Formats: sequence, structure tokens, C-alpha cells
Amino acid sequence: MNILIAIGGKEYSKPTLDLGMKIANAFEATTTIAYVGKRISQFSEKDVSVVHQNLDNRELYRPGVRTLEWAYDFLESKKYIKKDKSIAFNDHLLIDEENSRMRVLLKGNHSNKIDLILRTGEIIDQLRSEVETSNHDITIIGGGGNKGMHHKLVQFIDSSVMVVKNYSVNKQYKILLPVNNSTGSNKAIQIAEKFAKSKKLPVEIITVLENKSSDKKLRTILKKTEQRFTTAGIKNTATILEGNPVETVVKYAKDDSLVMLGVSPKNPFLKYFFGSKPISIAQQCNCPVLIAK
Amino acid sequence: MLSFLDLLNKFGPMNESYKIISSSMLYWFSQKKWFIFSVLLAVFLLSLSTPVGLTLAGYHSLIILLMVFTLVTFEPIPFPAIALLTLVLQVLLGVAPPDVVAESFMNDAVLFVMGSLMFAIAIVHQGLDIRLAKIIIKIFGRSKRLFLAGLMTISAILSSFLGEHTIIAIMLPIGLSVIKNIDTKQTDGRNAVLLTLFSVAYGTIIGSIGTPSGGARNVIMINYLQEFSNINIDYWEWMKHAYPILIMQLIVAYFVLQFAFPTTLKNIQIKGYKKKISKSTTKDNINHLFSSIIILLIVISWFLFNEELGLGIIALCGALIFMICGMVSWEVINKNTNWGVILLFAATISLGFQINETGASSWLVIKFNALLALMPESSFNISWSFMAILTGLTANFFTSSATISLLGPMAIELQPSDVSFALSAAIASGFSFLTVISSPTAMIIYSTGLVSTKTFFKVGVLMFTSSIVILYLMSKFYWVTL
Repeated sequence: MNILIAIGGKEYSKPTLDLGMKIANAFEATTTIAYVGKRISQFSEKDVSVVHQNLDNRELYRPGVRTLEWAYDFLESKKYIKKDKSIAFNDHLLIDEENSRMRVLLKGNHSNKIDLILRTGEIIDQLRSEVETSNHDITIIGGGGNKGMHHKLVQFIDSSVMVVKNYSVNKQYKILLPVNNSTGSNKAIQIAEKFAKSKKLPVEIITVLENKSSDKKLRTILKKTEQRFTTAGIKNTATILEGNPVETVVKYAKDDSLVMLGVSPKNPFLKYFFGSKPISIAQQCNCPVLIAK
Repeated sequence: MLSFLDLLNKFGPMNESYKIISSSMLYWFSQKKWFIFSVLLAVFLLSLSTPVGLTLAGYHSLIILLMVFTLVTFEPIPFPAIALLTLVLQVLLGVAPPDVVAESFMNDAVLFVMGSLMFAIAIVHQGLDIRLAKIIIKIFGRSKRLFLAGLMTISAILSSFLGEHTIIAIMLPIGLSVIKNIDTKQTDGRNAVLLTLFSVAYGTIIGSIGTPSGGARNVIMINYLQEFSNINIDYWEWMKHAYPILIMQLIVAYFVLQFAFPTTLKNIQIKGYKKKISKSTTKDNINHLFSSIIILLIVISWFLFNEELGLGIIALCGALIFMICGMVSWEVINKNTNWGVILLFAATISLGFQINETGASSWLVIKFNALLALMPESSFNISWSFMAILTGLTANFFTSSATISLLGPMAIELQPSDVSFALSAAIASGFSFLTVISSPTAMIIYSTGLVSTKTFFKVGVLMFTSSIVILYLMSKFYWVTL
């Protein structure tokens, strides 16, 4: 499994990186930590590139590298990567892989598991390109950006997307798993099961009935999911709720919830212009939300 | 009965490949929306009848101008594509025949853009920042505040001759070296960082108005003046007009920055930096000496031979000498030259020529003058202010050289015999203090991640306003004495 964690400024990225690494550890996944630098106008892109080369020559870190250095130190302090006194971040190489992508070459035995990437450009474009290049399964990003950005991420990035909002490193979380009959929901169940098992988290399975013909099917799915988690030895509860799915889930989710739900099977055009229930939930919930694809 | 939305929903989830295709299409549309908008706008305008007094070719040239403004501002397609589109549309819409478009595509201003970009890369490649840092510390190193003032002054002087993109690349490492370990969480530290970066940035931006070689826009305006009004402005003549403005702007900038970023400067490390750069190898010394000689030769040639050889050819000579001497390889120049910008400038200059040739610029000026006639105030002051502020503001959202290549013909047309209008337009377009997209310097400073767009704008408003006032006063009271 491949996981992409997109980080921004040091101040805001700690929760994203922490939760991202917990998920990556649970899946024993190869992890890419990417910093996307500011978009440069075409007029100035070569000038900026020349300046950055000059900064490299003078051993002055180019923008973004300091953030990656911080991420590296954070991973080291949390023991996600082995501490090796002979290797300092300064000694790692910055490799220009293509026009807007640079990789910090990490020496030592952790290099196959973690990649530190520096990209510049429009964030959606860069993350989309990163996911396409390395076939990431989950993209994890901080919730500080605007709502439109999260919409675009879910719409255009070909991986599951987790928006990390209001996450506290020390808080005890439980997974909130709204289930339905979509393919995305099956994927969400798989991810939730693996994560809950690895981190020993309790799971609240819910389904929201809307007085439709599919209600019976939803009850069955809820029952099956409950059985699946119980068999796997995961502490869980199963609840049937009624009402508008978005409002109900948002109201049910608490600050200590990690919401995991499936992507909408709706037509992409409709999703683009009118949004979807999972996107609305991710935008309105004040806790981390994963939309599985 | 099923609605269209229900139908979409019914068919949507059934077919995975349909989903992938529609998702890709949506992504393309979301990325290219400004391109689609500009095409639709052009089609709509083409369907309208030609305005009275304007030729069909002139009308079409203005439609292309509008498209170029939209495309360059929002960058939905690459610059080379915008350049090619501009050329193709000029022929397809009957603005000019292919031969005429091809002729106007290449002139001395384009050669200057090409030469100065290549020359800049060759200079930056020589590592002259260490040498310059030593000189600046030697002359201005007595106090930290003096050092920053020196950094700004030297940046301005060098940028006036070698262009801002060259000097910011050389001076920024010096600025970043002295602020390397400053804690930006403290206000004093943050202000020290901003003061240093802005000193370099403002020095470089202000300097670029000083001589024709300071910026491509200056050379473009000189070319337009020669072509449209038969007025020749040489290197020295430009300096006489612009350098006093540069000096006054530097003084104002110093005080504006001290006011905007009050700091004790206690964390700035000049001594540590001085120690770090004290050693140099003989190879470096020889390299720096040769580089300085080449640069000096080129600047002297700009002074002495600009009329005979053209500024562009001289700039190309600079890059050529560096390459022949083996001081920079073609690979380095090829990799770092922004060929897209060169193509775009060539195409916009070509369009600028056609806007003038087709009478579109005269038509715009007639309309503008008709508006001015309604004003009670002296039309000269109003039209000057309008033109200077318009070019200044447009340049902040559209970059200066492209602004001048497109609005230059209109600025000249406003007062064809009065050179002060054209010069004011070119100089005002260099006041890129408001937005980070306005110039390479602003973008480079922004790309460090240490300066926000908000900070840049807040300080920039003060600088922009005072610069316009200085320009007005100089054109009104000093230029008339020349």
C-alpha cells in the first residue's frame, strides 16, 4: 500500500503527519511525505529556479526543504525512522527528478519506506500528478485549506482522501463508520478494520435510513459489518439512524471521531456542480474524515 | 419521467470507463476554464459589428489583445502556446498577412530579451555574490543598518544596468545568509528578516527603471518610440530622465521599510557571514576578474554603441563571450533560459505593432480624449495620471514588459510628440510593488516562503503611491529642463 501525506507549514502539519504516519504504520505502507511549494508564475519560473540553484550552492536551504527537515526530525523523534547519528539532514541529497518534483535522498535502511518530496505548483495539480506517478492508495492532507480545495481533491485525485481537521495527538479517538451499499463504502470498511485492529480503536458503525426502498439492504449491510468487526475482535457498536445522511452524520460525529466513509457513486459531472454527501460531510465535520475510493 | 440529472445518475455509476473519461474532462475544463472563457469572449466579440471609426483589422487586433490579457493573467495554457496563438490569430483574423507578422516578430527588443536572459544566467553562474558581499561589507559593514542600506543601493545600481532578474539571483543569497538563523516567531526577528529581504527586493525593483538595459520594457518602449514617433532615445538620455527618480525612490524606500519593519537588527549576523566568505581560491579570483571585465565591457558598449549595434545585439555579445571563454556551457544556458517568455514577448510586440498599424491605438486614444473633454481639469494632468496609474497597476497584475508591449503604442499615441508620456508609462510599469506576480524579483522573494502576499501588498501600496508622485513631480518639473 502507498500513502501520500501532504504537509504545509510546520505549525499546522504536525497533526496531519502524526495521523498520517499512524495510518501508514497500520498498513505497513510505503509513505511519501510531500511539501507543495507556492505556485510560480510562468514569467518567473526559470528565474526562481536559478535562484534556488544558487541557494543550493551556498548551502542555504531552498523554500520547502526546511519543512521537510522538520518532518524528518519529527519522524525521527517519533521513531518512525531509525536514528542514525552519522546521518544529519544536511547530508541528504536533493535530487531533481523532473521539473517540479525533487526528492530528498534518505540514506540508511529507512529509504525504501519513506520518501520526502518537494514539489512546486498548484496543489491539486501537483498532488494529482504525485498520485498518478506513484499509485498512492490514500492521500492525507490537513484541513486548513478552503472547502473548495477539499471538494477538488476528492473529485480529481485518484485515491482515497483523508482530510485531517482538528486532530489532537494526545486524544483517544474512535472510528465512526457510516456504511451503505456503495463500492466506496466496502473500501472504507476494509480500511477501518485494518486501522482499528492495528491501533486497537473502537468502531461506531452507523447507517442512515432515508425512508427509501434501499433501507432494508442498509440494515443487512450494517449487520454484516458488525459481525465482521466482532469476528475480527474489534470493539464496536452498530446504530441505525434516520434522517438526512449529511446532517445526521455531522451531528453524530464528535471531536474524538475519525470518520471513514465511502466515496459517492454519483456521476462525476453531478458531483462537480452539486457536490456529494461524503464531500459535504468532510466539509462540515470538525474532525478527520477519510473518503475511501 | 426521468429528469436529465436522474438520467446522468442512472448511467453514471454503470460504466467505469465513462466515469474516468468524464472525470478527466472535468479536470481539463477546471484547469482550462480561463482559456475557454477567452475563446467564448472572442467569438462573442467577433459576432458583433465593428465599432464606428475602427477598421475590421483594428477591431480584430483588439480582440486578440483582450484574449492575450486574459491568458497571460490566468495562465491556463503555457506561454509558448499563447505566443503561437497570438501569431496564428493575427493571420487567421486578417490583422496582417503572414510575412508582416513574421517581420514584426523579431526585432532588437526581442533580441534584448533573449540576450539579457542568457547574459543573466552566465553572470549568475560565476558566483559573484561572494565577491559582492565582501565589497558591500567592506564599504557598508560599519553598522547593520548601513549594511542593509548598502545592500539596497548596490542592488539598485547593479540592477539598473544588468536587469533585476540577474541581480536578485546574486543578491538574495547574501540577504538570506545574514538572516539564516533568525527566529521569525519573535516580532523583532521577523521584522529583521523582512527588512533584509525587502531591502534587496526594493533595491532591485527600483534599479530596473534606471537605464534601458534595466528591463525589457525600457527597450521595448525605446523601439516603439523609434518606430511610431521617430524619436531616438539613447542610453545616456534615458539615464538622465530616470536616474534621479531612482535615487529619490531609494531614499523613500529606505524610510518606508524602516517604518514598516521596526527592528533592532540584533540578530543579523554580518560578522559570522564575513568570516565564512573570507577565503577564496585563486581560480575563483581569476574567474571573478574575467567576469567583471566582460560585464564592464558590455555596459560600456551599451553606453557607446547602443545606436549602432542595438541593445539586444550587445546583450547577446555578453552571453556569447561567456560561452566562447568556456565560463558557462550551452547546456546551463539552455536549461535556465525561459524560452517561453522570449516567444511571448516576441508575439506581444508583434501584436503591439499591429495595434498601431491598423489604427486601433489611434481609435482608443480618440475615445479616451473624448472622455477627457468632459473633464473640467487640465486634460494633460488627467491623461498623464490615467496613463501612468493604468500602466503601473496593469504591470502589477500582468508583468511590466508584457504591459508595455501591449499598452506602449497607446501611451505614445496619447502625446506622440511628448516623450514624457512614453517614458512615464515605461517607468511606471516598473513600479511592481503591489503583487508578487508583477516581477521576477517579487516572485522570488515570495517563493522564499518568508514574505506573504499581504505583507508585500501592504508595504507596496506606500511605495507605489510615493513612486507615482515622484514620477509626476519629475516629469512636470525636472524633465522639462532637459
